[in-house]
Amino acid sequence: MRRPAPAAASALRRRLPGLAWLPIAAVALLAPVGCGRLATGPAPKQVIYWTGWSAEEFNTQQRLVDEFNREHPGIQVQMLSQFGNSGYQKVRIAFAGGATPDVMSTIWADELAGYAMRGVLEPLDGYLKRSGRNLERDFTPGVARMLRVRGKVYGLCATTNTSFIAYNKSIFREAGLDPYHPPTTIAELDAAARACTVSDRRGSFVRYGFRPGGLALWAYVFGGQWVDPATGHITADHPGNLAALRWLASYAKRYDLKKMQVFQSTFGSDQTANGPFFVGKVAMWSTGEWAEQFVRRYAPDLEWGWFPLPAPPGGRTACSSAGGSVFVIPAACKDKEAAWTFLDWFTRPKPVARFCSGIGNVPPVVEAGADPVFQQSALFRFAVNLSRSSNTFGPPGTPIWPTYAREIGRVEEKVMLGGGDPVALLADLQRRMTREQLDAMQDLSG
Amino acid sequence: MKERSSHLLTSSPPHLHPYRRRASRNAQLTGLAFAAPWIVGFIVFFAYPVIASAYYSLCSFDAIRPPRFIGFENYRRMFTEDDLFWKSLWNTLYMVVAGLPVGLAASLGIALLLNRKVKGMTVYRTIYYLPSITPVVATSILWLWLLNPEMGLINIALGKMHLMQPGWLTDPAWAKAALILMGLWGAGGGMVIYLAALQDVPESLTEAAALDGAGKLQQFRHVTLPMLSPVILFNLIMGLIGSFQYFTQAYVMTSGGPQDSTMFYALHLFNRAFLDFRMGYASAMAWVLFLVTLVCALLVFKTSARWVYYAGEGR
Repeated sequence: MRRPAPAAASALRRRLPGLAWLPIAAVALLAPVGCGRLATGPAPKQVIYWTGWSAEEFNTQQRLVDEFNREHPGIQVQMLSQFGNSGYQKVRIAFAGGATPDVMSTIWADELAGYAMRGVLEPLDGYLKRSGRNLERDFTPGVARMLRVRGKVYGLCATTNTSFIAYNKSIFREAGLDPYHPPTTIAELDAAARACTVSDRRGSFVRYGFRPGGLALWAYVFGGQWVDPATGHITADHPGNLAALRWLASYAKRYDLKKMQVFQSTFGSDQTANGPFFVGKVAMWSTGEWAEQFVRRYAPDLEWGWFPLPAPPGGRTACSSAGGSVFVIPAACKDKEAAWTFLDWFTRPKPVARFCSGIGNVPPVVEAGADPVFQQSALFRFAVNLSRSSNTFGPPGTPIWPTYAREIGRVEEKVMLGGGDPVALLADLQRRMTREQLDAMQDLSG
Repeated sequence: MKERSSHLLTSSPPHLHPYRRRASRNAQLTGLAFAAPWIVGFIVFFAYPVIASAYYSLCSFDAIRPPRFIGFENYRRMFTEDDLFWKSLWNTLYMVVAGLPVGLAASLGIALLLNRKVKGMTVYRTIYYLPSITPVVATSILWLWLLNPEMGLINIALGKMHLMQPGWLTDPAWAKAALILMGLWGAGGGMVIYLAALQDVPESLTEAAALDGAGKLQQFRHVTLPMLSPVILFNLIMGLIGSFQYFTQAYVMTSGGPQDSTMFYALHLFNRAFLDFRMGYASAMAWVLFLVTLVCALLVFKTSARWVYYAGEGR
């Protein structure tokens, strides 16, 4: 059989002298580009930044990045969007492969401790000190606590959120409640929820007062905690956590929560025009500062107000959550100084105020909260104040928090929908999470 | 025929001239070079990860720090301490035992209906096939609406007929049934294969059976079904593998809820690997899933000798 390969090979060889000119031509063509650079000084340092924001929020951030690039001719920040869950998973793969960008905000606060303890993040304490910054002074208390892992700072925030309850004033009035004095205690909240709930003759909901959820945060309201801040030990069976879970369970007993869930699913999610709060089918809604833009968009005529999570006697007042995306410098970053210059600039009061007001978040930087842009809206004045409360809690510094938080959710669901026993479930959670944390610690020390 | 193939299998026979031997080695190398893209791909992207996962299953491994060897600890934990392991295995077996036969029967039923000589049949076939090529995520979102307990079309229809209106995805007792129902919508994939096989059932056989006095049902039972049995086996095995890996719909629609009723094995595995940083544990889970699937597939193969008929083979 004749093989055509040698013929083709020799044909290629014959043509090679011609092709050999290509690289030379390419170099000749590109040389002036390089020379141009040389003539104007060293090329700016490239900082690759992965952002977790997309669409309009990305654009808002891009305007700030452009401004940074203009102010810092020696550094060029290139921002890439790694949006959604796949984006956040990409981060994990990047860390595993050691192929990280220079700065990223594609890390949830939940994951910060896990990454920090695995040694893939650069501690920022030295940089903060040199730049004359102080975490506890510059940032709101909950955010500052959340960013410290075992005494060291591993990231900074440019945004945060708050948690509170929004209420429909018209329904309050209709139910005989004072629309200008919303509940301040758990007892008042329960009474208001009862007063606002209306069922038809068949027992189906026509409207309900309040459906509490989110054991992870309510535990703090009841004086509980998930991790002992002093020892780092798991405290799932803390009496405060149990009190919160029992209170949630009281709703499951008083109302048919399955029916409530079915009723709620009749309407859209909280982020659509058909959301139950917007159409007046629920009197009180656990939400955050983002509620404002949704109400403005979907129910502009709604007469509504807001109040902080009410607390039981001996509980914590003005409790709120902290969290969201965290800006970090990976330990594998080559030019950490350039990366820090960008991170430092972006988390200063002015850019933070502009970014947060642009995307409708609460600023985690204390000074940014004083910006007039937040003082124009009554809700944002309230939210900014709430974010400064010392009873604001972000994820506790345990490497297993993503797992732990999910398991807290499962316990809550078992109690609320399955009638599970709070004491037994929290004891079981305590045992399993202690084990999980022990495993993680062993891995980290190994 | 036999001799020729044995000659082909023997490389560089000793009686060849040295030049011929070199030529044949060159031919071999050329062949290997042409196959190299696949061989390299197989080794790098398949063989190595499979072997590595077997090793990782014996380690505590978070994909960031080096793996730490812990023997069979992952397996022991899985069997003795992880309630979700058993729950998810049970949920998955439910889909295999309850969902798979229903799906197979539905695609066969549709194929039988669409195998008739009716005008515009190609249009019907296309219509029934279309859902199976719709992306699973899109289908899932659509069904979230259809299955809505109050506003969904399904419950509205049931209500009109004065039938019970289940809570579907909001009710642990109905959530898996809802997913099985949704799976039936994609029965077109299996249907196409059945249709192809149905066209291959020789008319002479059905005619002969009819002449012998067999009714339609008997023809189906004793002629069509045996002739289809290799294809049923194929669909069964593929369905078995697919059902054991049931993931996307639960990931998109329920995240495993309500009350873990749709926490399937693959979803639990995914959570352990990508949310909890427990790659070693997830690898161990993957191996257990592989073994369970393998055993089930082998059992099916073992019984298939009794019910699968290959034309041309004596039985």
